[in-house]
Amino acid sequence: MPITRRHVLAGTAAGAASLATGLARPAIAASEPIRIGFLPALTGPSSSTGVGINRGTVLAVKEINAAGGVNGRQIELIVRDTQSDPTKAVNAAAELTRRDHVHVVWGPLNSGEALAATPLIARIGVPMLDPCWVDSLTDVKKYPLAFRNAPTNQQIGGAANHYVVDVLKLNKVAVIGDTTGYGTASVEAYVPMLKAKGAAVVYQGDVDASNPDLKPELLRMRNAGAQVIMPWSVNAGFLSRIINTRSEMGWDVPIVGQTTLGSGQTKALLAKPEYWDKVYQNNFRSSSFDSAGKLPPRTAAFLDRLRANKIEMGDTLLWWIAIGYDAPRIIADAVKNAGSTPEQIAGYWNTLKAWPGVYGDITWTPQQHNGFPDNEVVMCEANSLRDGTFRLAPGYNA
Amino acid sequence: MLASIISYGLAIGAIYALIGIAYNVMFTASRVFSFTSGALGMLGGVFGALFISRLGLPVIVGFILTLAAGALVGVVTEIIAVRPVLKSIEQHLYVLSTLAFALMIQQFTAIEWSTEPQPFPRLFNIGTGLLDQQFWVPVLACAATIVGLELLYRRTLVGRAFLAIAEDNYAARALGLPERRLRMASFALAGVIGSLAGFAGGEVLLAFFANEPMLNFYGFVPVALGGMGNNRGAVVGGFALGLFQQAANFLVGGIFASVAVFVVFIIVLLVRPEGLGGAATARRV
Repeated sequence: MPITRRHVLAGTAAGAASLATGLARPAIAASEPIRIGFLPALTGPSSSTGVGINRGTVLAVKEINAAGGVNGRQIELIVRDTQSDPTKAVNAAAELTRRDHVHVVWGPLNSGEALAATPLIARIGVPMLDPCWVDSLTDVKKYPLAFRNAPTNQQIGGAANHYVVDVLKLNKVAVIGDTTGYGTASVEAYVPMLKAKGAAVVYQGDVDASNPDLKPELLRMRNAGAQVIMPWSVNAGFLSRIINTRSEMGWDVPIVGQTTLGSGQTKALLAKPEYWDKVYQNNFRSSSFDSAGKLPPRTAAFLDRLRANKIEMGDTLLWWIAIGYDAPRIIADAVKNAGSTPEQIAGYWNTLKAWPGVYGDITWTPQQHNGFPDNEVVMCEANSLRDGTFRLAPGYNA
Repeated sequence: MLASIISYGLAIGAIYALIGIAYNVMFTASRVFSFTSGALGMLGGVFGALFISRLGLPVIVGFILTLAAGALVGVVTEIIAVRPVLKSIEQHLYVLSTLAFALMIQQFTAIEWSTEPQPFPRLFNIGTGLLDQQFWVPVLACAATIVGLELLYRRTLVGRAFLAIAEDNYAARALGLPERRLRMASFALAGVIGSLAGFAGGEVLLAFFANEPMLNFYGFVPVALGGMGNNRGAVVGGFALGLFQQAANFLVGGIFASVAVFVVFIIVLLVRPEGLGGAATARRV
């Protein structure tokens, strides 16, 4: 084929074009926004957590961008409301990863949605950060890019068991759950842990949460010699019935268990406010004040920052806002120090040691993607809510 | 233990009986088993808490508004979920249409009210312990309903028209009775009775959207036990169910109490498919 002027011109144009795009790509990557795909449940039955976390996340992104971004790159928060629906969470995760090509996915924020969305996000190969408690959500072999900046269910149950056996020195325990997946799984998981600590589980049962009368169950516990009740449920009606029945029976044993024990919904269903005494629920050291009313310094500073930004705290819990605040910062930290490719972000996170979050110090290794420290999961007095924080239960020295 | 079984058993049994009566009132006028009965019970608790606790209305005003709202839901059920099905389809598809409508009510309540159980206000502050009002108010409501229905059916023209429709729909229409209006009135009446069940049992069950399926199931048991359309059977069945369920709670406890209830239910239906109080009807072939 003879070489004509047209061929030479076409070849030159193509070469110039490929050279131009090839040279331009790193420049675009260096200046393009860091896209965080955020999957909160802002509406629907599980939205209270999402609404609280969202406030912290939005504030952190605003602060980072106002300070000039990360190495000159702004953070773009792409939010998809999962509506508390696992199917919608999966669809939103697919949209964020495949169409919007986000650098990191933050969420989903509750376990049911995360269980559905995590395999998809892992398959696409996007780094993921989630605050959910179900143990199986992190697995360095199955999901090497999935990291958790919150405790696992094992840590939650472990903290309650530690408080009952080691702090309160009570050895005869009644463990009750509702008949939901969470309730039955928690009872099954925590009873062997209690036994391993040398406690005697004198009552173990799963009860329908809609059962209006729990007196038979509590009589069974009392007759078995239980010194403490450990309920595992997120149903405020079920928990309030346990608290009301205990008090109406005149049975003076502590109730130690899940965070919902200290929620406003549970409080609203109590027959008398004093029934909330001697009820201790899971909380976190960072969002707990001591007997003198003092919060940890990092939390106190954070609280001031929230007030300065007029962030609403009356209808939520501080640890939700804190965990939401930490997430964009830990992502920004990875991009700043390592880069924004999946390998760079995950590689950096795998070396993270005691990263100072407001919620807790996060440590990840290539073998362990559960980053929350055991000793920061504590028990608090349910009737002590103040600015989304609680007083540490008796026995903690902090 | 026995006192606790009786007080709680009678209270919860009265609620089941009222839901059973709501099923029956709708069934006798239309031959339709409307599975919105549980929704009416659930709404009774939610409306009561809404009007009295949230809006701060006096108890008596809240009570009347709750019953009125229940009647309205009953009428809407008839118009949306029953009438079109009866008009155009011979099959028993009203099971689906009423269940779907009940599900819509439940989800709407979850979105607009709350997904968490909400407290129901104390109505009178009379009685403590096992004689607390939360135990005897449902029984009182049930007794008042039975007396009211007896008076309605025996002493009033409308009540007799209800009975005529229930006895022979075609003959009643041939005599010029307004079948459609009577059917709507029966759904309104069922709405009042269902919401009364939820209102009277509000302190026991709380104002909670998830009470709907529970009341639907446990309210249907006395109907099946007592015989379809038989109000006396529903009352006996309701109280028997409440007492048996509470006894099972004490004796076997946990999830096995529900299992025990349904084991007995299945055995009764196997032995007497027409229900304990029902009569086997001959069918012309």
